[in-house]
Amino acid sequence: MIEHFDPRRQANSVDFSKDYGTPSPIPNANAAQVTLEIDGITLRVPEGTSVLRAAALADISIPKLCATDSLEAFGSCRLCAVEIEGRRGLPASCTTPVVEGMKVTTQNERLARLRRGVMELYISDHPLDCLTCPANGDCELQDMAGSVGLREVRYGFTGENHLDAAKDESNPYFTFDPSKCIVCSRCVRACEEVQGTFALTIDGRGFESKVSAGQDEAFMNSDCVSCGACVQACPTATLMENSVIDHGVPDRSVVTTCAYCGVGCSFEAQMKGDKLVRMVPYKGGDANHGHSCVKGRFAFGYASHPDRLTTPMIRDSIDQPWREASWEEAISFAAKRLKAIQAEHGRESIGGITSSRCTNEETYLVQKLIRAAFGNNNTDTCARVCHSPTGYGLKTTLGESAGTQTFDSVMKSDAIIVIGANPTDAHPVFGSMMRKRLRQGAKLIVADPRRIDLLKTPHLGEAQHLPLRPGTNVALVNALAHVVITEGLEDKDFVAKRCDTDAYQSWRAFISEERHSPEASEPITGVPADAVRQAARTYATVPNGAIYYGLGVTEHSQGSTMVMGIANLALATGNIGREGVGVNPLRGQNNVQGSCDMGSFPHELPGYQHVADPIARGRFEAVWGVKLDDEPGLRIPNMFDAAIEGTFKALYVQGEDIAQSDPNTQHVEAALRSLDCLIVQDIFLNETAKFAHVLLPGSSFLEKNGTFTNAERRINRVRKVMPPVAGKQDWEITQDLANALGYPMNYAHPSEIMDEIAQLTPSFTGVSYQKLEEHGSLQWPCNDEHPEGMPTMHAVNFPIGLGRFAITEYVATEERTNRRFPLLLTTGRILSQYNVGAQTRRTDNQRWHDEDVLELHPSDAEVRGVRDGDWLGITSRSGQTVLRARVSERMQPGVVYTTFHHPGSGANVITTDNSDWATNCPEYKVTAVQVEKVSQPSAWQQRFTSFDQAQKGYLAKAQQEAP
Amino acid sequence: MSTNNDANLIRMTNQIAINLGSGRDEDAAASAICRHLETFWARAMKQRLVASLDQADNELSPLAHRAATLLATRLAERQAS
Repeated sequence: MIEHFDPRRQANSVDFSKDYGTPSPIPNANAAQVTLEIDGITLRVPEGTSVLRAAALADISIPKLCATDSLEAFGSCRLCAVEIEGRRGLPASCTTPVVEGMKVTTQNERLARLRRGVMELYISDHPLDCLTCPANGDCELQDMAGSVGLREVRYGFTGENHLDAAKDESNPYFTFDPSKCIVCSRCVRACEEVQGTFALTIDGRGFESKVSAGQDEAFMNSDCVSCGACVQACPTATLMENSVIDHGVPDRSVVTTCAYCGVGCSFEAQMKGDKLVRMVPYKGGDANHGHSCVKGRFAFGYASHPDRLTTPMIRDSIDQPWREASWEEAISFAAKRLKAIQAEHGRESIGGITSSRCTNEETYLVQKLIRAAFGNNNTDTCARVCHSPTGYGLKTTLGESAGTQTFDSVMKSDAIIVIGANPTDAHPVFGSMMRKRLRQGAKLIVADPRRIDLLKTPHLGEAQHLPLRPGTNVALVNALAHVVITEGLEDKDFVAKRCDTDAYQSWRAFISEERHSPEASEPITGVPADAVRQAARTYATVPNGAIYYGLGVTEHSQGSTMVMGIANLALATGNIGREGVGVNPLRGQNNVQGSCDMGSFPHELPGYQHVADPIARGRFEAVWGVKLDDEPGLRIPNMFDAAIEGTFKALYVQGEDIAQSDPNTQHVEAALRSLDCLIVQDIFLNETAKFAHVLLPGSSFLEKNGTFTNAERRINRVRKVMPPVAGKQDWEITQDLANALGYPMNYAHPSEIMDEIAQLTPSFTGVSYQKLEEHGSLQWPCNDEHPEGMPTMHAVNFPIGLGRFAITEYVATEERTNRRFPLLLTTGRILSQYNVGAQTRRTDNQRWHDEDVLELHPSDAEVRGVRDGDWLGITSRSGQTVLRARVSERMQPGVVYTTFHHPGSGANVITTDNSDWATNCPEYKVTAVQVEKVSQPSAWQQRFTSFDQAQKGYLAKAQQEAP
Repeated sequence: MSTNNDANLIRMTNQIAINLGSGRDEDAAASAICRHLETFWARAMKQRLVASLDQADNELSPLAHRAATLLATRLAERQAS
């Protein structure tokens, strides 16, 4: 017997550009192999594979329409019919699993006649406008008509048909043209299986069947979240990107990594020349497996927005108009000022902020510039204001500052705890994966002041909401742990083998105290004790319990304590070190993990090596050729305090909008105004740039080479698809500035920077661009011990040897409600907008959320006579702003909520200077406020508007005057 | 303005003391707090904190005061060596 064998077709070398018709049965499992014969070729495939997929694996293509390998087989189009020896009729190959010894025929006259007949029926109710159709050249229906040799439609076109069905153009990014629909249900199934929203359905029966969003609503009015899964699944032009309708089918494609959230989806940037026509989620992406959200899939238009800065600008003071400058002039202007300030105010009077939106290589270079050329450690990054407590808390307990799992791990979880995170909005692609697992029966526990959408997952099984009061996380996690210990639910074996005994014993004594019981905590957290007990039992008794958390954990005065409390809980229950379990921070920005890894923090060199460690520092000194400071530098809030005090005079900010994103805006503004030199490198005139003296136009992720590291420690390539708008990639600008300061940098390509990172960072020694090309992506640590990277951490031991339980005493925040400020404000995000909104506000995502609103509970609204849409003044101890009201039952009484995506909203005018005790991460999630009806914008908003107009005017003037 | 910054540093130290103090005896707590300040605080911040020990009404909690005093000793030792 001759075996068909192709070494390229091994389990992990699937061709992601090809559609295999049905999904791989059990990915990466050692399923039994089945031998069968298709068209005389013998092949072996895993048990559970469909005949359609088996044929595709052997490069035998069977015509198909309703099948695609991102969706379960459906068996409706009948085009993939085959003959199987010994079986009656012509079964659909997509729904027929392979059987040992099966003999399949995919092509003969009988099958050809059947397929032509099927196609003839389809085409009898389909417009024949192929030449002017947007899917021309990219249409499966067209391909199949060609493949089956359809030559005539004997039924004619005069009968009843759907050719006049009206288009739905309500969504800004895609058009639904039902006249082209073949009702294959791929869109409906994608909405269910891939996205998990269930917004689409097939309305009517038989000839009346049609795809419908919600109950025959327009797409924009339905539950549709515009993730693009339906557009991706559609085999015709029925669901089509408007950019393709406008520009035609793209002609080349480059795989790159999304620059939005910490999921780090892989996309194919599909191009026509230098124009990006569409972003298509890449099936081979290890983080997203071909799925996407409305941001990554569609909101890329900002990269070519007219607001993009294209020329460097300089000025002597911020109340002066800008002046356009050449790159040389601007860089030398900046360097001279920095040197003069250091000469006058000392080496430590300047610093910089690395960007969590830029690449690893760019971030590495900025901190290198600060440490080596500025000669101090005054470097920090936006992780300061989001996940710095994760770094501290996980390093203390587990020994490494990162999440323990891959995203795929959730598919093996039996209970999922989500604390202070909103994955369906902030990490949508992972949120969809989570929902898939929840539909399969995993139990859900959500600890959040708000009733987040994950709790509304269709076909959700057992779910619990623990609606705690903002600021009481630690009391809640202690109560959960108390139940685990006092009810004997801990994993004694795991604790004995893997954890430090002394630390465990002291923690055990501490947590067993009655004051940590759910009953004692109920008055603090507001969560009923029974619910806490039930949640703890669920998590501790399932085979695999996983914890996912977000900024609702970290952005508190006890953010670090809470992270340690979560780690304690996972250690006590043995939920660490295998798939399906773990402690998983959901990272906010695309490269916030990477910016932390790359030494952005003032106390740590790349790879979390402390600056005071003489051996680590020595290695850097040898390669960088300078003496390095052995004392930590200033963190962002410390820089602000020092600036206001007058001891900190200059700041270099790469791709970060501290004026909008950091708390207590008026304090930040005062700090920025105190600087003698603020250098902002960004793609837009962001809020921070309005206080700058030097503007260096940066490049978007489409314009550069590099790598991003996502929330699962996955290092993924970013590939340049178009030239930088202003001529330079961000790393080139930093390099120029270093050279102008007299510290030589001569990198020709980011791969050389990565080589230096690998040389100096123990967890990166095995990383190189070549290896990334070979593997697609790598999860650090990637070194001699783990040459292929490490998907699941802590399987054998912890980087600190034994896991360390930490005492987590609950300390109430100083931010308290009282008669003057009776409500608690908590802040968050929304699906369509990203962070400060600099990117998404410059796209049609505005159609979903064009202003930040204040959500409040009906009872709080009623007491104040507030109705939906009223203007509300929100006042805290820090300041006042005005937002429109949205009355919402998602809130609990006494708690109000808003987002910070629009600068004029001034959400951070209200947030305070309070911060995490260990890391100074701001306490964004708890601010005591009062809310009342008002008739005009706040004083700050009025000042903001006039300052904003003046600054935009200064920029416009410079741009007009330019030759 | 400098007093604002000082007040802030003192407030931060007190906050660290409360969080690192529990579950430890006073010696261990003071040295844990001191180690935290050494590990995470910038040189200037440490010096400012130590300088504030000279002010009688500095509002440091007793444990924070003890940790800051320990930090002062360690900084002096380091400078001497």
